[in-house]
Amino acid sequence: MESTLLSLAHGFAVALAPANAWYAFLGCLVGTLVGVLPGIGPLAGISILLPVTFGLNATQAIIMLAGIYYGSQYGGSTTSILMRIPGEASSVMTCIDGYAMAKKGRAGAALCIAAVGSWIGGTFGVLVLTVVAPPLATIALRFGPPEYTALLILGLIFLAYMSSSSLIRTLLMACLGLLLGMIGIDNMTGHFRYSFDLAELGDGIGIVPVAVGLFGLGEILSTPSAGAVKDIISPRLRDLLPTRKEWSQAVMPITRGTLLGFIIGIIPGSAHIISSFLSYAVERRVSKHPEEFGKGAVAGVAGPETANNAASTGAFVPLLALGIPTSPITAVLIGALMIHGVSVGPTLVNEHPDVFWGFVASMYVGNLMLLVLNLPLVGLFVTVLRIPYAYLYPLIIMFCIIGVYVVNNSIVDVWIMLIMGAVGYALRKFDFDPAPLVLGLVISPILEQSLRQSLIMSNGNYLIFFSRPISLGLMMISIGLLVLAAYAFMLKRADWRTKLAEVEAGETET
Amino acid sequence: MTLRADHVAGAFFVGVGLLVLALSGDLPTGSLSLPGSGFMPKIVAVLTVFFGAVLALRGSESRPFATVAWDDVKHAAVVVAITAAAVAMFEWLGFVTINVMLIFALLVVIERRRLFPAAVYSIGVVVTTYVLFTYALKTPLQAGPLGF
Repeated sequence: MESTLLSLAHGFAVALAPANAWYAFLGCLVGTLVGVLPGIGPLAGISILLPVTFGLNATQAIIMLAGIYYGSQYGGSTTSILMRIPGEASSVMTCIDGYAMAKKGRAGAALCIAAVGSWIGGTFGVLVLTVVAPPLATIALRFGPPEYTALLILGLIFLAYMSSSSLIRTLLMACLGLLLGMIGIDNMTGHFRYSFDLAELGDGIGIVPVAVGLFGLGEILSTPSAGAVKDIISPRLRDLLPTRKEWSQAVMPITRGTLLGFIIGIIPGSAHIISSFLSYAVERRVSKHPEEFGKGAVAGVAGPETANNAASTGAFVPLLALGIPTSPITAVLIGALMIHGVSVGPTLVNEHPDVFWGFVASMYVGNLMLLVLNLPLVGLFVTVLRIPYAYLYPLIIMFCIIGVYVVNNSIVDVWIMLIMGAVGYALRKFDFDPAPLVLGLVISPILEQSLRQSLIMSNGNYLIFFSRPISLGLMMISIGLLVLAAYAFMLKRADWRTKLAEVEAGETET
Repeated sequence: MTLRADHVAGAFFVGVGLLVLALSGDLPTGSLSLPGSGFMPKIVAVLTVFFGAVLALRGSESRPFATVAWDDVKHAAVVVAITAAAVAMFEWLGFVTINVMLIFALLVVIERRRLFPAAVYSIGVVVTTYVLFTYALKTPLQAGPLGF
């Protein structure tokens, strides 16, 4: 513990160095804007701005990109509350009661509760991350190919099980991502696979063109500017403070959202989205006045907003300790660190202490910055929302092109981005969530290599996954989840995800 | 029988899986003790066919294909076409020229904005971005025949 505190102190020295603090601030500011602007989620925002970090060192780059990630969680609440448009997917639940509060003249209070809840959730997440990640990294050093295979399979199954869309749809998206991830030279045999004599495809398809295409361009194609104009409720600065009653109504939802969000954040999947949905469901279930939900319940804002920020931080635990992305966003962050020559995994804490501890400490600083930034500057963010969408989206398309092109100076990547934009548009039409596709793409090379290495190690015996304690435990959890899903499917019983989806659909229509 | 959205989506994924299997013909599958480069792609392709078939078979629970809203498809197609034209000329004309043309075209053709404000906006944001990336962020952007 003492060594952790000493390392954290070193991290603060790194994070508070003027240049690093500046990039944390810049990341938080840009992240808030990314969250505020409908149509650019954190994934597209980080991918588009990735080239901006090329001139920075690895510590500054990860500090800035992480700032964009958790800044977007803060910013997403602004449009949800003031316009009933989720700035990004994890703010969908905030739309319901946040906008209802705004219509009652409590927009300022809703924004304040969302910001304070986000700060508490985020800071708690960093506290646990500080304590848990280093020892977990030590355990992870014992992981061999079978353990990694079992962990990645569990990740995929958990993603499918926890997804708010159907299990089959999620698995199909993951399969498509895995197939895309197999394009290029096979690392173990040197065979070219599905590259159609294009040298650029030899290295495979990058995360950035796929992510920017699916989430950046795909969103633009699905959003004609004529439908993008909405009324904005402008809160007055003096109305920002919630009343004593509102605070007391927010305390327990914030506490529950913090714990729930962090735990879900550690589990693979689009954690920040799932956590806000689950938190809303939990709050309504435990509420003494469930009839108030949908009409401006404070708990309906405090719980989900806290949970999505706690989950964003929780997602960094497997990233930093195991080197495994639990979401497309953390996958892009791994890509960013690799571009800077830093390999993420159990050895990160020892090989690059400046990056690891500087990054952890920057999250404490960043969360505080966001709290200070979000409340007084809410008027500025509202002004940004007044920029006509017709002028905004051509700019976003330009940044999509720059963001993708600059990574490898490859026009093929830009074509891939354009194709994936059209694919993303089509997937939305058929109610597919593209997030598992990106996750599949990222874990595909790791999964394939560890599976093949495991089989070579065991001379082709699949029982290797059940003969080692860690992989056995992980496989048993996977099997348990599959059995639970199959049970619900056989009985055609609506489980909590179906029920929640039905409730959401009902409330979005009203 | 009414054609449903999931019938179409499921059939599409079955097609994708079969296509991958067809393209994997020359990739060695290897054996369990020494898996080849075609081992994993073939497993995932078979899974794609299986999940696609399940989606199609359960398709009767989804909404009718005819109710899928395509009212924004014209907007999407024009945006893709203009962007594709810009991408095709990107390396030839360079960052500044092509992006001024791209933003101007999107504003005038799709958004029906007046020519002068559209031109001022296009040139303004592209030049600002060029200066920001090239000088402030030290990230050179694609140069055209005029050197920018």
